[in-house]
Amino acid sequence: MKHLSRLAFSHRKMIMLLIFTSVLIGATIIGQSYFFVAIVDRIFLDEQSFREILPLLVGLLLVLAGRTLFTWLNGRTGVKLASKAKRHYRQSIIKKFSRNPVQTSLQGQSGRKVSVLMDAVDEVDGYFSSYVPQMIQTMIIPVMILIVVFTQHIYSGLIMIITAPFIPLFMAIIGVMTKKKSEDQMEKMNAFSGKFLDTLQGLTTLKLFGRSKQQQKEIETSSLGFRDATMEVLKVAFVSSLMLEFISMLSIGIIALEIAIRLVVFESVSFFTAFFILILAPEFYLTLKDFGSAFHTGRGSSGAANQLSGELEKEEEGFGWGEAKLGREKPPLIQLKDMSFRYEKGFSMENLQATILPRSQVAIVGKSGAGKSTLLHLFAGLMKPDSGEIFINDRPLFDYQQREWFSQLSYISQNPYIFSGTIADNIAIGDEKPYTRNDIKKAAEKAGIAALMESLEQGYDTPVGEGGRGLSGGEKQRLAIARTFLKRPSVILFDEPTTGLDLKTEHILQRSIEELSRFATIITVAHRLHTIKNADQILFLDNGELKGQGTHEDLLETVEDYRAMVSAQQGGDTT
Amino acid sequence: MKELNEVIRLVVLEKRDIVLSVVFGFLAGMSAVGLFASSGYLISKAALMPPLYALTVLIAFLKLFGFARALGRYAERYFSHRATFTILSNLRLSFYKKLEPHAPRVFQKYRSGDLLSRIVGDVESLQNFFLRVYYPPVVLVIIFLGTIVFTSIFSIGVATVLLVGLVLTGLLIPAWYTVKQRKLGNKVRHARGNLSTEATEFLYGFRDLKIYQQLDAKQENLQHAADAYLEEQEKDSMQMLSSHSWNTFVTLLVSWVVTGVGALLVAEGDLNGLFLAMLVMVSLTVFENAVPMAVLPSHLQDSKLASERLFSIVDGEGEDKGTLLLERGNAPEIVLSQVHYRFPGETRDVLKDVTITIPSGSKTAIVGASGSGKSTLLQLLMKFQTPVMGEVTVNGYDIQHVTEESVWQHSNVVLQENHYFYGTIRENLQLASDDSSEEEMISALEEVGLSFKLDQPVLEKGENLSGGEKQRLSIARAFLKGERLWLLDEPASSVDALNEKEIYKHLYERAKDDTLVLISHRLSGLERMDQIVVMDDGSVVEQGSYDELMKRQGYFYEMKQIENNIFS
Repeated sequence: MKHLSRLAFSHRKMIMLLIFTSVLIGATIIGQSYFFVAIVDRIFLDEQSFREILPLLVGLLLVLAGRTLFTWLNGRTGVKLASKAKRHYRQSIIKKFSRNPVQTSLQGQSGRKVSVLMDAVDEVDGYFSSYVPQMIQTMIIPVMILIVVFTQHIYSGLIMIITAPFIPLFMAIIGVMTKKKSEDQMEKMNAFSGKFLDTLQGLTTLKLFGRSKQQQKEIETSSLGFRDATMEVLKVAFVSSLMLEFISMLSIGIIALEIAIRLVVFESVSFFTAFFILILAPEFYLTLKDFGSAFHTGRGSSGAANQLSGELEKEEEGFGWGEAKLGREKPPLIQLKDMSFRYEKGFSMENLQATILPRSQVAIVGKSGAGKSTLLHLFAGLMKPDSGEIFINDRPLFDYQQREWFSQLSYISQNPYIFSGTIADNIAIGDEKPYTRNDIKKAAEKAGIAALMESLEQGYDTPVGEGGRGLSGGEKQRLAIARTFLKRPSVILFDEPTTGLDLKTEHILQRSIEELSRFATIITVAHRLHTIKNADQILFLDNGELKGQGTHEDLLETVEDYRAMVSAQQGGDTT
Repeated sequence: MKELNEVIRLVVLEKRDIVLSVVFGFLAGMSAVGLFASSGYLISKAALMPPLYALTVLIAFLKLFGFARALGRYAERYFSHRATFTILSNLRLSFYKKLEPHAPRVFQKYRSGDLLSRIVGDVESLQNFFLRVYYPPVVLVIIFLGTIVFTSIFSIGVATVLLVGLVLTGLLIPAWYTVKQRKLGNKVRHARGNLSTEATEFLYGFRDLKIYQQLDAKQENLQHAADAYLEEQEKDSMQMLSSHSWNTFVTLLVSWVVTGVGALLVAEGDLNGLFLAMLVMVSLTVFENAVPMAVLPSHLQDSKLASERLFSIVDGEGEDKGTLLLERGNAPEIVLSQVHYRFPGETRDVLKDVTITIPSGSKTAIVGASGSGKSTLLQLLMKFQTPVMGEVTVNGYDIQHVTEESVWQHSNVVLQENHYFYGTIRENLQLASDDSSEEEMISALEEVGLSFKLDQPVLEKGENLSGGEKQRLSIARAFLKGERLWLLDEPASSVDALNEKEIYKHLYERAKDDTLVLISHRLSGLERMDQIVVMDDGSVVEQGSYDELMKRQGYFYEMKQIENNIFS
């Protein structure tokens, strides 16, 4: 909540405008009452002619128009303020996301993050568009009315001052009561309201077991149960507004009674004053009551506000890149020197040393959880080592320009991401070089997707990704290979699929890696024996520790754990 | 309005609560008018120095109206909200009844998984229809008519002005904004969808975007989408605000005219000045009831769109045309001949010329890479889909002529994703058959290697169960159903190899004489199958027993080699 109010009050101009329009609204409320009363007074008691009150009627019309205009202006400012705030939040969150280190996007938090960007931001709207303007009005208008009433008839003013605090007091008491009540009912309400979705999601299962008809009864029972639980909570809320109504009515009644007695018995106030106060009194209590409902809206935003500030306060360090250029003549020499990396909890990788020669094929091997993917991300420059460095051509990786490094790099993941766009767009993604359709076709041919293109009505212009055609796992892999053929990078990082793909893709992968290895260094998280056997060098990882380096034969001879792993794998397929 | 016919029909069902809320709404509205009218009259009367008892009576009236208003408002709210939630229940039920006959076929039309939560959201947004669209004009008109009748006792002129005010605030302005709202359409929704897509791409594709140096461009797109969404939202809010402002202005204007006309009439001597204050107060009060009309247009638009979306889901869905019933008790024989299938709206076949014979009591495995069409094939056997070309026959009957219910009733199905309901293990097992005994359930659980107590709770969607446990529970459910056709789609993919072996042992025992079709990604443990069907890219590339296929050294053999080669 604090965060929200700080943001709201940082827009000084808008807050000033809100204050200004609130004062004007207050003035028009008072003016409106004055004119109505004056007209009735002159016509009824002074028996003036219609012509004489005409100026008053004109004045009244102007005031009424003014009230509408200022209320509109006030509301508009609220809407604009809400837009500004939402824009500010979205911008900061998007910025935050773009500095987002790769691990968070891999930790399956993406869905939650989308919801923060969409829903949490939308939920703070009420705070700015309704709560803040109403709060300002409540601080100004009742005070203005009170001052006017005091100038007219001091006792009515006193009654107002004494009775007014009862409204927020009761509101607070009732707020506590409803909160408890709704907490009691919450579980019930959630269970009942979830039932419908649960049933729809289970409809296939229900149909298969021939139970879907019976479920109608359940839906009805749970919906009515939801109704009854909700009504329990609502009843408390309705009683609360009933109480508020009684309080304000009682107060108005006291005021009316007091005025009437003065008017008739003591003849100490005029008709004008009496009528004026009688019209102003309800406006006074109305503004206070309105604040109550705005307050609820404001409180509704606090959960979302906490979510937002939680998201924004998490400091994730970005890492800087340098300015050095990287030649393209031949693949670089890559070295790990005393490199260590730790996750916040548990896993760590300590003091890795390795040298990867240009155009060599390296296989990273190890059990799941050994740190293979982490190592691949470190090679990619998507994560930064905690100590030690990766050296590229004898300079630390992060000395180079980011674009210099990434433009020489390809990363083929197990589940390559397909962007919404055409297939051609997806193959040609991310290179500043303008590619001709011919280049794309050649790459597609090498990656074995040319035949697929021909089978599609729109060929290379077929939309894929979100809202487009779905691709099978094998097709995605081949598309990623096509990207690589087109880009011709000097370093390729490859996360080999853990399960078998269709034979065609399997063959293409093997053949492509062979072809690509002629001009690039390939570092593979390997899951296939032939990849491992073909590697010039194997990095054997065990729980973050580099247990062995060398060729397959070397490691079989020298590293006990490696031998055990290979024989376990080969023993596992006797079935 | 025809989009809303069905909704209106459901609303009108709740006669009792609707009548009660209208009655109390009227009572509250009229009491408010009475309250302010009498206070206006009181003050005027007081100015003329009447005897004190006249004032006492008036003040008593004032209190009476005040309490009546507050209580009336309370009762109105109570009954109108209760009606709203009852209507919500009717809506759910009615929609369920419409959807149920078409499930699960209709789900295939929508590839995105959010169809169901969208349905739930749309149904819930329709609950506003009664409260914000249907009900306010009714109460508004009745209160106004009452007030106008009352006013006409004193002045026909003032009554006429009020009538004009009613037409303006209750009809013309809302109608005007309804038209404008329609023009705004569902741009907000559209912009929101756009932003959500951009955000999803940005986050899920983050690594690839970063390496392909597309992050900045994509970030800009995302920001644009965010701004566009904001702009539409702002337009919407401004529209609402301006609807509100015009409504208020006309309201105030009418009170102004009432004052003017009243003043004129008093000055001319056609109206007793005693009533002028009262009439002004009446006019200011009665329009309180017009306030909800300002939000009516946008709720009307929302309701229309929601209702259209909901009821169009099942539009154009054919009913199941099957009439034949499968016989109980024999293991079915299934034949697919030259079957082609493609998803609605797609151009490429996902199944091409598939011909398979599955003899009664045989065991068939269907293998192939992901995306090769295995699961689609199983969906044809379950009649979730019908072939575009070719024929699927069960016991010699074209499956199109057999009722869906009968196909499902006679098969034990385990899908890749199975649903579990909030409740207990027992309740989830009893879905399969009501008359399974305690012992049968316990032994089915034992056979799949689960040591659950029957009364153990299951949370929604089985959240408290692991992937492997869920699969095993499904298999246990299939065991209990005990029909003679088994259709299993990777039933044990999340179960470890040792347990898998054990489960398959029991499965083969139970299915000894039954027809069994098993889809499997893994190629181990297929030796005892009578036939293995190998699929690639929608076609059958090989068919035969394990030994035959291994001897042939073809596709299956090579897949097997690769699988043996994989470290996981």
